[in-house]
Amino acid sequence: MDAPRPVGVRIANLHKRYGGTEALRGLNLEVHPGEIFGLLGPNGAGKTTALECLLGLRTPDSGTIEIGGLDARRHPRDVRAQVGALLQDAALQDKITPREAIALFASFYRNAGDVDTLLDRFGLREKASARFETLSGGQRRRLFLALTFANRPRLIVLDEPTSGLDPRGRRELHDLIRSLRDAGCTVLLSTHDLPEAESLCDRVTILHEGRVIADSPPATLVGSVESAGRIRFSAVPPPTEAACAALPGVTRAQASGGEFVLHSGDIHRSSVALMALLERDGSRLTAMEVLRPTLEDVFLRLTGRPWPDEPPQAGEGGRLP
Amino acid sequence: MNSGPLRHFVLVLRLNLRSLQALIYGYAVPLLFLLAFGAVFRDDTPALRHEMGQIFVITILGGACFGLPTGLVAERERGVWRRYRLLPTPTAVLVLGTLAARLVIVASALAMQAALAHAVFGTPWPVHPLQTAAAALAVTTSFLGLGLLIAALANDVPAVQALGQCLFLPMILVGGVGVPLSVLPDFAQRIAGFMPGRYAVHALQQAYASAPGLRGTGFDFLVLAVIGTAAALAGSLLFRWEAGHRIPRAARLWVPVALGSWLVVGSVAGITGRLRPLPTTGDDFAAVTAADIAGMDYSDLPGDQELAGRLDPPFTTLEQNARIAPFVARLRAWSPGTGDDSPQAVRSLVCVAAVADISADPREGRIARAVYDCLLSRFPRDFLARALAWVALYPHDGHVYNTIPALGLDRRPAPDLVRSRCVVYAKKYLGRIEGKLHD
Repeated sequence: MDAPRPVGVRIANLHKRYGGTEALRGLNLEVHPGEIFGLLGPNGAGKTTALECLLGLRTPDSGTIEIGGLDARRHPRDVRAQVGALLQDAALQDKITPREAIALFASFYRNAGDVDTLLDRFGLREKASARFETLSGGQRRRLFLALTFANRPRLIVLDEPTSGLDPRGRRELHDLIRSLRDAGCTVLLSTHDLPEAESLCDRVTILHEGRVIADSPPATLVGSVESAGRIRFSAVPPPTEAACAALPGVTRAQASGGEFVLHSGDIHRSSVALMALLERDGSRLTAMEVLRPTLEDVFLRLTGRPWPDEPPQAGEGGRLP
Repeated sequence: MNSGPLRHFVLVLRLNLRSLQALIYGYAVPLLFLLAFGAVFRDDTPALRHEMGQIFVITILGGACFGLPTGLVAERERGVWRRYRLLPTPTAVLVLGTLAARLVIVASALAMQAALAHAVFGTPWPVHPLQTAAAALAVTTSFLGLGLLIAALANDVPAVQALGQCLFLPMILVGGVGVPLSVLPDFAQRIAGFMPGRYAVHALQQAYASAPGLRGTGFDFLVLAVIGTAAALAGSLLFRWEAGHRIPRAARLWVPVALGSWLVVGSVAGITGRLRPLPTTGDDFAAVTAADIAGMDYSDLPGDQELAGRLDPPFTTLEQNARIAPFVARLRAWSPGTGDDSPQAVRSLVCVAAVADISADPREGRIARAVYDCLLSRFPRDFLARALAWVALYPHDGHVYNTIPALGLDRRPAPDLVRSRCVVYAKKYLGRIEGKLHD
């Protein structure tokens, strides 16, 4: 089988409003052919809306979307023929089997994948004739991934692909995504999981309130905040959380089970001040670790707000009015 | 052309056969309705002959008002249609496939009912099988439009049940579908004229059990087309592919447009005189026996050229035929003569001869002959003999027309006089059919 020729995506000045809420405010982004591109942002940032506009599930108020040089709004069918998508909140009929589902979806494409090959590739051979209602969560996720590949896509769009997967499932999916890139696909994924984006994506865009606030390879973004990071320590007797939060450079202090984590925009100043605080209070340091900056620190630096610890909203886009 | 739409159509059928709920609603409930009707009308001879139209329409209504929208809305709630929208084929094609699959499911349920009615109750097969199939196709297509509208309006499956019942129950109770139109009070019969069920039953009953078949049912099909098209149009404009999406306020105006079509067809039916209360054919018709027919006394009949009961000889010349042709055309289109109550249709046609005779219409003899020809062409001889015997032996049964402006018979003789003159003509006609009288 010939490797597909990857396609790029170009979104320009995309606006989408739901009643009084402006979900996208002039979104601009470009995905290069053959890269793994991460669309990051907390809930409500506009990730799912952007992907739904890209896939033609929603009509943007204005702006342009090009996929492989084709205007996605004017040629939706041509675009869909070369895109595979994994949606957050899709399901299938209870009584359908994986074999039937893959055969059904493949039958709509000229360049369809082989059903047995897809069953094997996604570990569904043994469950090929089982009904959807009897599949486990992981098996269902693998089935939807198989459907995503039913048309041998050149662009793959994955909306929060690892949500709900166990660590092993996540690792397997990460390996799969990398192999897709190596096989010549462009991958555009939205994720709420910053470590995942950092380890997986060639390039990321961070969305905040419907706008792009950063767009670079993860390492470049992290390098831009190299003075930032986190200090993890424990001491006896422990200092108060308030005292830690008041240290220079510290933006957030968390205490849990005798261990402190200080988020800092200036690791050097915060470390020196922490030592001084412990010395003054007569506390003895029992453990200490300085953690390199991450995308969370990038987000903090750019927005002034910590990255929210919230799970992705299932069907975020589908529930909006 | 990809094979996706066809594969989807086949898959919808297959998934229906795997679902216990779909099997119950699709086949078990129609079977129960058939048995219930059979239990009530088992003593009729033949049983259920006059009820098959109602039984079929109940099955079609169930498939359209519940089966179709329940499936569509359940899939929308689960996100199936959201996933389908990513396919390179327009999603409307898949909806059409779902409608076509429902059509097949309903058709198979109707075939099952006809076969079981024949096997269990001895109900005759349809008089016009192809016309019955065509009528069933038209009724189902029209009602699937209503089902599509329900699917568009309902936010979830419980809402489908609620909206479906809003259509189903009125048509069952006062729409001439569950309770026969002829036993409903006059006001209910008029209300039924605003509902598609009445027309659906009439078309199907005519095709299934009446000799003239679908002749004279043009208005029924027009009503079904108007109501079905309006509902399907509104349903497709309001259709939502994703759970949680709201219908835009402006688009909601299509709902009154769809329902307005019911008002329009009911009003047109009223204006054109189609909402007149139906007469009932009493049990006396069923009581007429072959012995009654064989023992009929013709000795008291007046001659064919006497003042009362005039009946011209058969038309043999082109000139005779040409002179009466315009009247014959109007007579054949006269709706009381094509009603789904066939014995009553015979009595109504005999009234034409009686009223013309009593009114001393210059064409009275020719009209009486035209009525006889019409009866012979429209009904099987055995049935016609029995119906004429019923008119002759039970003059006070059924409904009589004592004025028929549509046929140029404007005078209004007393109904009792019409009934007694109907006896004369019924016997004259019956005697000829039985070979006891000669032209």
